[in-house]
Amino acid sequence: MRHILTAIVLLGLIAIIVFGIELTGTRLMVRIATNLCIMLVLVLGLQVFMGNSGILSFAHIGFMGVGAYVSAMLTIPLQMRSMALPDLYPIVAHIEISPYLGILLGGGIAAAVAAALSYPLMRLSDAAAVITSFAFLVVLHTIMLHWSAVTNGPRTLFGLPNITTLPLAAGFAAIAVITALIFKESRIGVLLRASRDDEIAAGAMGANIPYLRWLAFILSALLAGIGGALWGHYVTSFSPKAFYLKETFVVLGMLVIGGPNTVTGAVAGTILVTLAFEGLRATEGFLNSIQLFSKPVIGLTEIILAMAMIVMLSLRPGGFIATREIGDTVMRWFKFRDKTQ
Amino acid sequence: MIEVSGLEVRYGAVRAVRNVSLHVGQGELVTVLGANGAGKSSLLLAIAGALTPSRGTLHLAKKDVTGYSPERMVRLGVAMVPETRDVFPDLTVSENLRLGAYIRRAQTSAVNADLQRMYTLFPLLKERQQQAAGTLSGGEQQMLVIARAMMCDPKILLLDEPSLGLAPTIVNQIFEMIVELKATGISILLVEQNATKALQIADRAYVMRLGEIAAQDSAAAIAEASDLRAMYLGG
Amino acid sequence: MVELIQFGIDFLSLGGAYALMALGLVIVYGILRLVNFAYGELIMVTGYALYLVNGTALPWLVMAAFAVFIAVLTGIATDYVAFRPVRAKSVTAVLITSFAFSTLLQNAALLFISPRPRNIPLPDIFSRTVEIGGVITPVRNLLTIAMSVIMLALFAWLMRRTVIGIAMRAAATHFTMARMLGVPANLIISSAFAISGLLAGIVALFWLGRIGSVVPGIGLQPLLVAFIATVIGGMRSLQGAVLGGFLLAFIDTSLNYSLPQDLLKFRDAFTFSLVILILLWRPEGLLKGPASGQRT
Repeated sequence: MRHILTAIVLLGLIAIIVFGIELTGTRLMVRIATNLCIMLVLVLGLQVFMGNSGILSFAHIGFMGVGAYVSAMLTIPLQMRSMALPDLYPIVAHIEISPYLGILLGGGIAAAVAAALSYPLMRLSDAAAVITSFAFLVVLHTIMLHWSAVTNGPRTLFGLPNITTLPLAAGFAAIAVITALIFKESRIGVLLRASRDDEIAAGAMGANIPYLRWLAFILSALLAGIGGALWGHYVTSFSPKAFYLKETFVVLGMLVIGGPNTVTGAVAGTILVTLAFEGLRATEGFLNSIQLFSKPVIGLTEIILAMAMIVMLSLRPGGFIATREIGDTVMRWFKFRDKTQ
Repeated sequence: MIEVSGLEVRYGAVRAVRNVSLHVGQGELVTVLGANGAGKSSLLLAIAGALTPSRGTLHLAKKDVTGYSPERMVRLGVAMVPETRDVFPDLTVSENLRLGAYIRRAQTSAVNADLQRMYTLFPLLKERQQQAAGTLSGGEQQMLVIARAMMCDPKILLLDEPSLGLAPTIVNQIFEMIVELKATGISILLVEQNATKALQIADRAYVMRLGEIAAQDSAAAIAEASDLRAMYLGG
Repeated sequence: MVELIQFGIDFLSLGGAYALMALGLVIVYGILRLVNFAYGELIMVTGYALYLVNGTALPWLVMAAFAVFIAVLTGIATDYVAFRPVRAKSVTAVLITSFAFSTLLQNAALLFISPRPRNIPLPDIFSRTVEIGGVITPVRNLLTIAMSVIMLALFAWLMRRTVIGIAMRAAATHFTMARMLGVPANLIISSAFAISGLLAGIVALFWLGRIGSVVPGIGLQPLLVAFIATVIGGMRSLQGAVLGGFLLAFIDTSLNYSLPQDLLKFRDAFTFSLVILILLWRPEGLLKGPASGQRT
């Protein structure tokens, strides 16, 4: 009951944003909302792994890149393909699939890569786990940077069909919310969360923790891949540097500020940080346009996000919404009101 | 010397030490007995400042020292020898001992004199002074930890299960050393499971059961008490 | 023979730099079991400090000392900003705060200085070359070797002969026990960060000396190097970090000499795959550190 309530509230929130903006919004508002929905998919993807297993993963954005490049490779129209990716392997050089299929396939391949490579990493915890996931990101990034045949190397890859509209992005965001909620309340999710608090005890209950983490990691990579492909079909051109530490920082910041252990927290963090970001970007733009300072103002947004993360982790290590999903909160509120009446 | 009253130590929801009051006088050797899990070690760690009590007070020479950090407690003259026998394994024996005198590192000559005193008291350590402490046997490590604690010139020594896991002859040696240390005039609070041995050398004794003080008396009286065994086994 | 001397100089100068970078990371990790993601920014900060005093009439050595001093201060600041508030809470929290602190410093450089490379002052001797056994090599490389030998000796002396060094080694195994001997936790941790800053600052002078300029993202490569070297050498052993640094330099130099150009681009991918494999095989690194300890 309370989980369904959580789903209804969160999906309702997305629906309100989408319909509100579709009806009244300017192009700028539509752009912000679309970005928000894509970020939701990415942040929820990270939440699926990090929130349940308690392990920080740096590799996430790497899988976002895998999704984006896979979809690009298969969906850039053939007449542009030879220009965008002149050295693409003949097997795929003449295949052009629907971008919708491309998005799903992007997620699928990212999940497959995660499944194939990550199982042994799931035994590790603490610093070793983080350094390996960081190493994983560096490996994926190096490959994207230099596998020119598929990625056009460090140069910008262009020509992706622009199909990501606000409703499409919102649809995927809604699916991500439901997936994350179902996973969290599933047997796997419950066992994983038990292992997060006490690895030995959960192991003693017969839970094969590396295997459970592996499943969460694959699901997380699937969402990251889909998010990446969605983003690719939104911006239509990108280069490998879009999938590295800066992006990792933003996604991690959203999750940490909102509360990594709850789906509600992930959603709240994404919305909050997106709004703050847009506000700060506008401020930066404004400062630059009036030329108050002799040189352009850049980096202010990141500085403030970084400070917000440090303050949040010092004061509320669990983020804004640490343990209770919105459904619980609403139910408690009703119970409380019943009692007082 | 040291006065504990109404002390409570919690690990989350578990209360390991409940409403414990005890005192140790100047130059006194007091022992705390009890079965595994009775809360003895937690009590000692709380006195040393390594655990923060959730309730109760701790006074040292009439001064309230509740909630002090372990560093501060050492500077006030409380030295702790934990049951885990934490030698620094990759430091040499002499480095371990010198570190024991960390708080008096400025008094070079006094520290050196104490170092020689420890080597006379524990000749085995002198033989091995350049060896890494991790290579010592269990008994030697126990001696090293006691000697290291003595290097800070404490007023009160907290000893947690010094006989744990050692061969009987070594245990006898260790207890002889405790008696020698007492003769130097310092106060000692000794936590032991080996009740017979501890009661032979102690002045007074407390018995802990399930986190509480179940009995207290002079060591001789406790040794006589017929229901000691029952209290131990939690009967 | 000429090739061998060339290889030897390349390997030793790179290895010395790598070893110091790795030591700077391990000195903190060993005590706290926490990874400092803002480590690379110590190198960046040194570079910008040099840039800011560029053009003053000060002798280069004074400028360099100032820059290293700033690195030490930044190291201590890392402790206060990113570690102390969350240290006791969780490993993950510290990783995130130090990552955030790294981003903060980088973006501060972007905002207050510039995204574009900035030249740093270098002494003339850095650009000279000498001939040794038929090999023409930059004096800078020889200076790097000399400096790393001096720093490693100094570091060894500090850790073996001084009370604070012994206390730091002790704290690395049993932190709480060290505190129960009166070793103040915060002083030890701050000292570790200060030493970390000192090592990073010194190595930065030579690292940046190769490049001649500084950009906000300059710290990433040294951070990666320090990661790989410590993982190879054993994440908690100081000797291991030095060994790991030299081993990585050996691998890198050998790959430079042997790999064809189009595979050389993937060098980072190779070395990082190696890191993953080593961690899987031995999560503690090749050299086991001292026995287990705990954080506070």
